[in-house]
Amino acid sequence: MIWRFVIAFFLLFMLGPILLVVLFSFGSNALIGFPMGGLTLDWYAKLAHDTGFHSAFWASFIVALATAILATITGTCAALALTKAAPKLVRSALAALSLPVLLPPLVVAIAIVVLFVRGLGLGLGLPVVILGHILVAQPFVILIVMARLARFDQATVDAARDLGASHWQAFRLVTLPQIASALIGAALVSAAISLDDFIIASFTIGGGNTISTFVWGKMRTTLDPSINAIATILLVLTVGLSALALRVSKYKG
Amino acid sequence: MRRAILLLAPSFTVLIGIFAIPVLLLFVVSFWSVKTFRLQPDFSFAAWQRFFTVYGDLTLYTLAVGLAVGLFCTLLGFVFAYAARFKAGRFGDLLLVATLITLFGGYLVKIYAWKSILGADGLLNQALMGIGLTDQPLAFLIYSRGAVIIALVHFLLPFAILPIYAALRNVSETTIEAARDLGASASQVLTRVIVPQCLSGLFSAFAFCFLLAAGDYVTPMLLGGTSGSMLGQFVLLEFSTNFNWPAGSAMSFGLLFVCLLVIGALAAMGSRLMRRSPGAAS
Repeated sequence: MIWRFVIAFFLLFMLGPILLVVLFSFGSNALIGFPMGGLTLDWYAKLAHDTGFHSAFWASFIVALATAILATITGTCAALALTKAAPKLVRSALAALSLPVLLPPLVVAIAIVVLFVRGLGLGLGLPVVILGHILVAQPFVILIVMARLARFDQATVDAARDLGASHWQAFRLVTLPQIASALIGAALVSAAISLDDFIIASFTIGGGNTISTFVWGKMRTTLDPSINAIATILLVLTVGLSALALRVSKYKG
Repeated sequence: MRRAILLLAPSFTVLIGIFAIPVLLLFVVSFWSVKTFRLQPDFSFAAWQRFFTVYGDLTLYTLAVGLAVGLFCTLLGFVFAYAARFKAGRFGDLLLVATLITLFGGYLVKIYAWKSILGADGLLNQALMGIGLTDQPLAFLIYSRGAVIIALVHFLLPFAILPIYAALRNVSETTIEAARDLGASASQVLTRVIVPQCLSGLFSAFAFCFLLAAGDYVTPMLLGGTSGSMLGQFVLLEFSTNFNWPAGSAMSFGLLFVCLLVIGALAAMGSRLMRRSPGAAS
């Protein structure tokens, strides 16, 4: 019985603040507070006409898409190499590749800026944001794909090779179809990580905005109630992507 | 072997090019100097000196916040993971889904939510005034250390729950039943059977939450006010406003080294404690 209260308390603490933001994105009052006023879609309508939000949305879309594709490629390659490697090598490679996730993002972001601006004399911009996001997304891809490969029947690949398939043919015709759902799951998780990131994007984007740096701009300057609506859109995107990822990778094995 | 190296090449190229080299360069920059807003290669300890003299107290305070957040997250994460594993029955999976939603719930969104809850005209103050506990808004709810710690615990709790839950899933029921059959009380089962078996999960949860909390700057910026500011904000200040990259770099690495020292010390203490108590052998 007491555990019910404990669990209810936790759910309230974890989900409550997030649900509040969603709730108030449909309220007509300018600030979060009760009574919340009538139900309205005004804040969403306002966003639909906001050109600043449009460009931020497209920037986020491009970055998330590029991150999803590229991190899935780099991570899957690594996972394929590591499933056949010695356990000791696997542990150290995984530790090295996970290091960027374990350090404060502030340090990672500043280091990237120092390299591109001072070290290489290059500018910042969306390509740099994408590189930064690949760096933090690829360890997750590796974990997801390796988990799938652990339950993978290597004999099917060996059979294909015995029957004269090249490495590439065996991968494309035998391995890939079997691990495709895990790859889609990994790509969706990478996109969610990219959309959610604020710190790396805000340092490396140079000019312009992604959705999260756009929200930041609004949070710092005015108490603009359309933040609730943007936050809800962002939430629906990241939670939707990760929920879809869970479903996809669970359904087919 | 050659194929393995080729397959590892893309991810390690990103790791080395976008992480290892930049981080090393950043470390080197901490020994450079700044003359009239221009960065010059040098071998100077001025930036490190600035870190220890100007920012020493703030670093200790930042560590304290990180430790508090790490401890709260580990403790609460254990309680929640324990409930999901042993007490929730078939709802255990649902609790994990709730955890994943909070995990992906958006970093800025969460901070913004706490700002709306704790602010002077926020929900909590409205509620307190509504039921007549206070007749004017409590100002200390927001812009304080407490607000920063609450928001950071909320943000990092899912990161603590997941490794602890993974560790608890490996605790077999047979060891628990065996302990019960041999007459162990509920608290003995917890402290001498369950906790020792998920110690590594607890420790990695703590280390991760501690590191990320100590390195955060957005939460204290929006919720900390003057009394709750943390080192990360000043790293940003040195980098952007002061254009003192060496100082910002020395502060980043200084904080990182001190954090790793704390984690290392705790790990050493933990393993020593484990060896001393005979009941804790796993």
